[in-house]
Amino acid sequence: MTAPSVIVFAVVYAIAYLICVEGNYALFTYHPAINEFGMGVQKAKDGPAMYWYGWLATSGIVAGIAGALATLLPQGAARHLWPASTWVVALAAMAAFCWLLKGFFLR
Amino acid sequence: MNSTTVLLIVHGLLAVALLGALTHQALSVWAPARKPAVSFVGRFRAVPGAGYANAVVVLYLLAALLGAIIYPEYRISVRTVLQQLELRPAEGAFEVKEHFAAIGLGLLPAYWYYWRLPLAPEHARTRAMLTSILAFIVWFGFLVGHVLNNIRGFGV
Repeated sequence: MTAPSVIVFAVVYAIAYLICVEGNYALFTYHPAINEFGMGVQKAKDGPAMYWYGWLATSGIVAGIAGALATLLPQGAARHLWPASTWVVALAAMAAFCWLLKGFFLR
Repeated sequence: MNSTTVLLIVHGLLAVALLGALTHQALSVWAPARKPAVSFVGRFRAVPGAGYANAVVVLYLLAALLGAIIYPEYRISVRTVLQQLELRPAEGAFEVKEHFAAIGLGLLPAYWYYWRLPLAPEHARTRAMLTSILAFIVWFGFLVGHVLNNIRGFGV
């Protein structure tokens, strides 16, 4: 692992996960009541549909590709990657989720 | 006792170990001991933080894996009860927990990288923030999980 790859992975993963949840871009769907997986986003059948695993997979793949590509960055460009962006973007994503889910707590 | 309950207990025990490691580490970076510690709090923060990094990564992954395994049972047996009882804050707290835990997973490579020895002094703030965010995520997840289990456990 290199500094550019871990920085890019962390930043892209947090953003991709937020987008995946908001747009429901799950790589696959799990139907727990019937113990069945299906590719992509599927409607619930015989119980709830679970997209969380699919969101993790989508964002993990996207961030993995971005992190791998970051290793190809020339040293000059890689030096401009800001290590603090790893936690700044994660904190921003956490705040965004609190905002998006505020309806559960505010009536 | 059914298998989900056993896995939930192991999940909780892993979370306790993770809480200990991350809290030690977070205190060691924000309030490092300057002299030989004599008090309990002093000894608590006097640990060499880097020694916890690998354990934190492994424990986080294991706790997340077990959480992912028992999650379907929550969706079927627990969440429906929360919805029937209209316990919206409890239901929402779990939603926040699942998203925070997911974001924590994405931070693990950076966390591990910046805790590698020898520690780079210029990345001390990054290490401290990554550790603190992970500690917050684990504390939040643990407390939410505990409260939800009090409301509606998985049964025996």
